[in-house]
Amino acid sequence: MNDEAGGIQRRTRFQAICQSLRPDLLRFAFWLSRDRALAEDVVQESMLRAWKAQDSLLDESAAKPWLLTIVRREYARTFERKRFPTVDVDELIAKEEPMLAAAEEQDVSDVRAAIMKLPDEYREPLVLQVLMGYSTAEIARELDLSGPAVLTRLHRARRQLRAACGEDTTLDPQE
Amino acid sequence: MMEHTQYRSAILADPHSTDAELRAHREACAECREYTERLLRFESRLERALRVDIPPTAAAVLPFARKAVRDPRTPRHWMAIAASILLGVAIAGGVWLALPQRTLAAAVVAHMAGEPEAWQRTEAVADSELDTVLKDSKLRLKPDAGVVSYASSCSFRGYRVPHLVVQTPAGPVTVMVLVHESVRKPVQFDDEGYRGTIVPVPGHGSIAVLMRGLKVGSGEIKRVAERVDDSIVWTQ
Repeated sequence: MNDEAGGIQRRTRFQAICQSLRPDLLRFAFWLSRDRALAEDVVQESMLRAWKAQDSLLDESAAKPWLLTIVRREYARTFERKRFPTVDVDELIAKEEPMLAAAEEQDVSDVRAAIMKLPDEYREPLVLQVLMGYSTAEIARELDLSGPAVLTRLHRARRQLRAACGEDTTLDPQE
Repeated sequence: MMEHTQYRSAILADPHSTDAELRAHREACAECREYTERLLRFESRLERALRVDIPPTAAAVLPFARKAVRDPRTPRHWMAIAASILLGVAIAGGVWLALPQRTLAAAVVAHMAGEPEAWQRTEAVADSELDTVLKDSKLRLKPDAGVVSYASSCSFRGYRVPHLVVQTPAGPVTVMVLVHESVRKPVQFDDEGYRGTIVPVPGHGSIAVLMRGLKVGSGEIKRVAERVDDSIVWTQ
């Protein structure tokens, strides 16, 4: 009976964590994959893996980075299992138009289209920093990069985005 | 003192940096201050851009969030089902997929892990509650269908779908009615101790049928799927 009660309590706690973090996980997976359906699959699989591995989460306050790491790994597994065809980014943008559209905010839609065109190695640290609030050191740890390498990627990501969005980049430092 | 280029390079990488040296340079340099302000305005756009809307249906999908309904009542006789429209649908080759990849089948199996209690029940759910679960999918079961021991309206890939467990002579069978998921041909899978098939239902998406245990053969699954499909009456 105690085991059953403990199981219910554990499940309820896990549900609460999933419920609160799912939007961020979906956004993260979406920007990794640039594909809403794939993002949903990745998050679904990640939740299942997280449930099975929940004993490794010793501190619930660390649930978000723990789950983000699982999502990253799960997304990477999709490439181990399946070779995806080369895709045209413009086609991707057209396909995800409902997700990218920002009602009454053309400036945001422009930025989204530009983010879609960023190379993976620039997009991922940018999402971790801006959306997930990661510090440079945390991004470096997550992506297994050095701090300077992370800063370089973030710098390049913003420079490309600003140029693509018609910002005045005359004062942007060149490398 | 820090160079302008050095400052802009650092602030471009992290516009919200609280580094003391960067702050000191900004306070002393009007041009870099203005540059930072422009950068922060763009940063606000960037933050809004990254925060894409998550469709409520997708956000509601949790692997373990279901509510089962049950109430012992008169059993339905699932097994008294005649020929199936699925007889014409070949489950080609009997090739089991040892590792269902990122597919609908994998999602169905993943869903099972979230509701292990569904397999434990044997009493019939109340007719009224079963009807509630089925009505959104525009279907009902024939009166002579088998004992439905579990009925839940579950979130699955962004939609509410009926998740049933039916007691058959071959053992409990899970049925998920996936009106929003189309498959072109039957998909068989074998993963995590579940064997099953997802069969297309023209005009009504597909139906997933699963059984537990490695001793369940592909022929058994196929026959059960046929019976399940034949017991469904689409109301729209």
